[in-house]
Amino acid sequence: MKPEREMKYWRSLDELARTPEFVEAVAREFPTDEWDRLPPATRRQFLKVMGASLALAGLTSCRWPEEEIVPFARRPEGRTPGVPEQYATAMELGGSTLGLLVTSVDGRPIKNEGNPLHPDSLGALPATAQADLLQLYDPDRSRRLVERRGDQEFVRSWDDFAAWTAERFAGDGRGAAILAEPSSSPTMARLRRRFTETFPAARWVEYQPISRDAERDGLAFAYGRPLRAVPHLDRARVVACFDADPLFEHPASTRLARHFAESRQPSRERMSRLWVAEPAFSITGGRADHRAAVPASAVPAVLARVARELVAVHGLALPEAAVNLEAAFGAAAADGNGFVTELAADLAAHRGTSLILVGPGQAPEVHALAAVLNHGLGAVGSTLGYTEVTDPDRPSHVRAIAELAAAMTAGEVETLLVLGGNPVYDAPADLGFAELLVGVPHSAHLSLYDDETSRRCGWHLPRAHGLESWGDGRAWDGTLSFQQPLIQPLYDGRSALEVLATVVGDGDAGGHGLVRETALESFGAVDFDNAWKRALHDGVVAGTELPVVEPELDGSALARAGAGLGALVAAEPPSAVKPELVLIPDRKVHDGRWANNAWQQELPDAVTKVTWDNVLQVAPPTARELGFAEGDVVTVSARGASVELPVSIVPGQAAHTLTAALGYGRTAAGSVGNGVGGDAYRLRTSDSPWLVPEVAVTATGRSLAMATTQDHFAIDAMGFGARLDRIPILIREASLEHFLADPEVFHHMVHHPPLKSLWQDREYPGEQWGMAVDLNACTGCNACVVACQAENNVPVVGREGVVRQREMHWIRVDRYFKTEPGVGPMEVDQAEMVFQPMTCVQCENAPCEQVCPVAATQHTEDGINAMAYNRCVGTRYCSNNCPFKVRRFNFFNYHKNLSEVAKLQFNPEVTVRSRGVMEKCTYCIQRIQKVRIEARNGNRPIRDGEIVPACAQTCPARAITFGDLNDPTSEASKLREDKRAYATLAELNIRPRTQYLARLSNRVGEPAVPEGGHGAHHGGDDDHGKEAS
Amino acid sequence: MSTSAPAAYPLDNTFDDPTRRAPLVVGDNDFHSITEKVCGIVEMPRTPPAWWIAFFISVSLTGVLFAMIGYLITTGVGVWGLQVPVAWGWAIVNFVFWVGIGHAGTLISAILFLLRQKWRTSINRFAEGMTIFAVVCAGIFPGIHIGRVWVAYWLFPIPNQMAMWPQFRSPLLWDVFAVGTYATVSLLFWYMGMIPDLATIRDRAKSKLRWFIYGVLSLGWRSSNRHWHRFEMAYLLLAALATPLVLSVHSVVSFDFAVSIIPGWHTTIFPPYFVAGAIFSGFAMVVTLVIPTRKFFHLEEIITARHLENMAKIMLATGMMVGLAYSTEFFIAWYSGNAYEAFTFLNRAFGPYAWAYWIMVTCNVLVPQLFWSKRLRTNIAVLWVASILINVGMWFERFVIVVTSLSRDFLPSSWGYYRPTLVDILTFVGSFGLFMTLFLLFVRFLPIVGMAEVKGVMPQAHLRDVAVQGHGDYHGDILTERGEVKA
Repeated sequence: MKPEREMKYWRSLDELARTPEFVEAVAREFPTDEWDRLPPATRRQFLKVMGASLALAGLTSCRWPEEEIVPFARRPEGRTPGVPEQYATAMELGGSTLGLLVTSVDGRPIKNEGNPLHPDSLGALPATAQADLLQLYDPDRSRRLVERRGDQEFVRSWDDFAAWTAERFAGDGRGAAILAEPSSSPTMARLRRRFTETFPAARWVEYQPISRDAERDGLAFAYGRPLRAVPHLDRARVVACFDADPLFEHPASTRLARHFAESRQPSRERMSRLWVAEPAFSITGGRADHRAAVPASAVPAVLARVARELVAVHGLALPEAAVNLEAAFGAAAADGNGFVTELAADLAAHRGTSLILVGPGQAPEVHALAAVLNHGLGAVGSTLGYTEVTDPDRPSHVRAIAELAAAMTAGEVETLLVLGGNPVYDAPADLGFAELLVGVPHSAHLSLYDDETSRRCGWHLPRAHGLESWGDGRAWDGTLSFQQPLIQPLYDGRSALEVLATVVGDGDAGGHGLVRETALESFGAVDFDNAWKRALHDGVVAGTELPVVEPELDGSALARAGAGLGALVAAEPPSAVKPELVLIPDRKVHDGRWANNAWQQELPDAVTKVTWDNVLQVAPPTARELGFAEGDVVTVSARGASVELPVSIVPGQAAHTLTAALGYGRTAAGSVGNGVGGDAYRLRTSDSPWLVPEVAVTATGRSLAMATTQDHFAIDAMGFGARLDRIPILIREASLEHFLADPEVFHHMVHHPPLKSLWQDREYPGEQWGMAVDLNACTGCNACVVACQAENNVPVVGREGVVRQREMHWIRVDRYFKTEPGVGPMEVDQAEMVFQPMTCVQCENAPCEQVCPVAATQHTEDGINAMAYNRCVGTRYCSNNCPFKVRRFNFFNYHKNLSEVAKLQFNPEVTVRSRGVMEKCTYCIQRIQKVRIEARNGNRPIRDGEIVPACAQTCPARAITFGDLNDPTSEASKLREDKRAYATLAELNIRPRTQYLARLSNRVGEPAVPEGGHGAHHGGDDDHGKEAS
Repeated sequence: MSTSAPAAYPLDNTFDDPTRRAPLVVGDNDFHSITEKVCGIVEMPRTPPAWWIAFFISVSLTGVLFAMIGYLITTGVGVWGLQVPVAWGWAIVNFVFWVGIGHAGTLISAILFLLRQKWRTSINRFAEGMTIFAVVCAGIFPGIHIGRVWVAYWLFPIPNQMAMWPQFRSPLLWDVFAVGTYATVSLLFWYMGMIPDLATIRDRAKSKLRWFIYGVLSLGWRSSNRHWHRFEMAYLLLAALATPLVLSVHSVVSFDFAVSIIPGWHTTIFPPYFVAGAIFSGFAMVVTLVIPTRKFFHLEEIITARHLENMAKIMLATGMMVGLAYSTEFFIAWYSGNAYEAFTFLNRAFGPYAWAYWIMVTCNVLVPQLFWSKRLRTNIAVLWVASILINVGMWFERFVIVVTSLSRDFLPSSWGYYRPTLVDILTFVGSFGLFMTLFLLFVRFLPIVGMAEVKGVMPQAHLRDVAVQGHGDYHGDILTERGEVKA
């Protein structure tokens, strides 16, 4: 018998050939089941993931040091399932720590808020730190250890990696190097000390692309040793920023924005004045009273002129040590610029209460000059404090990585462990780091993602997210804070501390043990447990800020700075043929680390309002000169490298100065961030990381429809004119003097007849909510937008969605440029930037409610214009009839393709809206209800300030105030009675519950009553834009 | 009567001689020939190939319409070009466009009936049919444009377990009632008026099936005196009922806009302006359809040149009204001193959508000016092309109103520019397919001219009333083949 020969039908060629695989497959019980074909590590991975799922159900407290997974058989004491809890933790960015208060529901962290006890958070958080939460649940995060050999990838375990480190880090560590991100963590410092002790010949390099090393080096020029400058804007009356953005681009920006807002109270004695000289609009520039748009290369000259003016005209006596600088700034040519003379006079008049700040993009020599001037003006000890740095010996980041690159070129590096960061993507382009890394025989990269650097390393190690790991760190002023995990690592990642501990042979200690051990060293053993618990509970350890020092200027170091400063001051300004390119850290994805974060990608840039792209910012006259129109894709090239970017025409940009944000054009960021924007790092070199002089810009002939959430600056002349006419009415502004002389000035800007309601007014026997938004405090930083997105499960619509104008943000920050009347959009040279956070103003006489045919949008008993999502049929009539266009429509099912893990982020208190449904801001009604229920249960009234909507909670400047309008003592009621309060579009008789407080400017020599006087004509009966409600 | 009568059957009855009453039916027609001509279309033994070709195209387009609706419902209204601020786009434009077209029928049937404009009889059936089909097309759009089509019934006041009632302050709800009532009354009016003619077809039927179907449709009409008495009374009553509806439907549709607070929408002129525009567009559509139909089915003697001329005059009048409304809007925008409104209108004419505005003005205001010239308005080709242009213009009028007003309202930060998608375009084209499908079925299977009514306005109907010749119901003389007055 030969059955094979007789077989006529077969299922596959394998069967015909009777291959061993086929025989085996037939023998198996479930031939389609692939489980047992997976590599062995996958089964382990599966168990880990199962463990993580169990942890989600069970491990609801982050405070438990135990790392076992326990079934939730017994309810832990004091815990009610479904009730959100908040835990204090911290996150580190750029060597400084922000304090977080993270809301966790049943073991899932769902929202990052600021820790009120933390000196750099003060309860608020910037948008980036809030959006970092989304990264925790990013389905693109790497889930396994991978070893790469040639084209092959092997799944490995942490034990395999421990064996690798034991092999690679041996002896005195010769040939081994660690490239780490800068960190303020005492534990990291301790482990690093151990590392250098254990492996004295090994290298330790710290690098990050966005650093404040220029300031550090500048202070080293001035004082002979690196120092940290801690500005105190609350004590300053006159602040002069030179390419500096303290209100946004600073580790302590939240605190600085808070203090600055507080310094803008309308009183002659207290109100501060802000001077800004910068190449492109920054957040701080938008708040400036006097702003000069100067090329980045000309900023040193402006500061030098101010210095000369101060010394020559105002008799500022500089310390002896600074004599060498005088020659440098004395050479600065006077140009009769009013900005310089007025600024110098203002600074001189406010000795001891003035402050000069220079941005991280300027050279150290400029910082040195500013330090000398601050010294001379008596700022040090008053508006400016200095502390020692914790790592005085390290070279600057750029120099460090250049040295590492040199060592790699020389073949001195055999083993390179990269702890975080993404140097292949963000190292200076002239180093050729990617090629050098490939040449390193043994390399490993710890990262949240299998990113550009990981792909070129021998090992990729999955990193634990900040909310999954233990850690510690210091705030900008040195205050110690602790980072505790809120969730078991979802993908078996480890923190940099844990990996470093493995390297130094302390791998079994675990993150918790490592941090606790450091704390034990600093707290002492006496009553340690209580101190430790207290520190974890508070998130910070009070009184641990670094002591303020009063350093002396160092003449010899300053002498070295003098020569460099002279060259900088004499630098030739850019021209149309030789424009300069200024690189800035992106306001959303920072150095690129948040590139795969959809919240950040969809967040409109504060200035350009562009989402899902980085752009080349060009001033209107320069664009005209170069022949570029909005959206033209151009090639920017310098020194053989080039990047393609779309042109965005932005007024207030210095002439012949182009600005591009770093952090885009990622190739291995993940499904969200790949290929978004252009990679400006390609133009970045180690000798001049922030300024690329003499770039060539050529048109590609293509044009890109940029995804902006607001219309472009360059529009048709009629639209431009109408917009310009409306800005002063929508965003009312007057000078301080004018306001003091005529407190009713803002109510005279719009006149309308008395407003009568068609309907009978509602009665509000209980509470009725209202809001006041202080435009004089708002910086336009977008923190509220992300807070709202996280709190209210606001979906992301993607680039195409934004291009179609379907973005879903419930709150948006309207940005307008005020320009001189009669000047066309392409001629604008000088502009002011103003912001207005706009969300549903909860009209008492709501146009949306009247037109909904199914009564899906209704007034609640406390005056909120609520949406019943279940009732909405989606006619969109309400959106059409909304004068503010703050309603958002679910054109598609935006949650359809969301991965299961990403759904863990959702706030269970808020409905996830289906398609075809309108949605909008409801003053965070879930927060109102929560407090109301608590108050009812406690049989007490709701206290003022007890309910805080997400936007108000996170506003660094505390611009948003919410409260009960029935209570005349509530903060919101009082602010609405403020003379600055006005209702936008009140003349439509919509009676908004959100009112705005007008902006105040504090310019030098502003008359009390400007020309033109009264803003609008009086009618017979007149409510003066102010209405009773 | 007149001895200077023309030498041949005067096919051209567009003369302006006030001493002569123009005949409403020309040619050598008597009651029988009218019946033959009109019923002949229905009774054609073979459907003409041209009809099949037209029907095939129309049905295909209808298929496209329903495919687009299916895609829309399964995917979401995001397949259209809608956005914030322009949350209403082509769907609403098409709705208003089709509702407007649906105005001519009832106007001709009801208002002209009450005003005793006898010339309406040749075209009223046709126009009423067109009205019904246009309202069918119009009715689709508000239904499918909502985000959750599956709960569209919440717009109707149906008692339900949620104890929720619609919100009666919303103009959209008024729309539901207004359009619903209008559709019902138009349908009744159309069908009731058709009963005697259906009975005629029944009586001439040669096949059982035909006899049965038309027998059922004619509801037992036996043409008795009592039937006629009741019929005419009911017709009169329905006409009286339909007359306010002609004015109310588009007034209510205009409230969708006028009641809102958006500059460019919030205007008191809208109700009359919309009604005038609706009549304008309705007549344009009747002319567009009737010219090829009368040619194809040889109805030139019944739907005469004078009928077309009269419709041209109405288009001239309503076109002027619409033009007046355009200028009044501008005047008020300036005169009111409201900066937002002033900008909205300037923006319409000179902003990003200026192209649409000037298409509208050209087609709706300038094109009808041709009709001042008798030579042009009696030129069938000119009339036909002009009527199509007017249809285009009236579609753009709604586009201008809906889209430009929304695209730039109060806050410049939320300004936008709306662009339709392919789905938008195909849905609109598909709705023409549905309209034409229904229309083609109508011309093939139902009497497209009201035979009974036309006969009533022929001179033959009044032979015995010699005394009233020249007065009252005098409808002209019966002419001989040579154009002489028959004794």
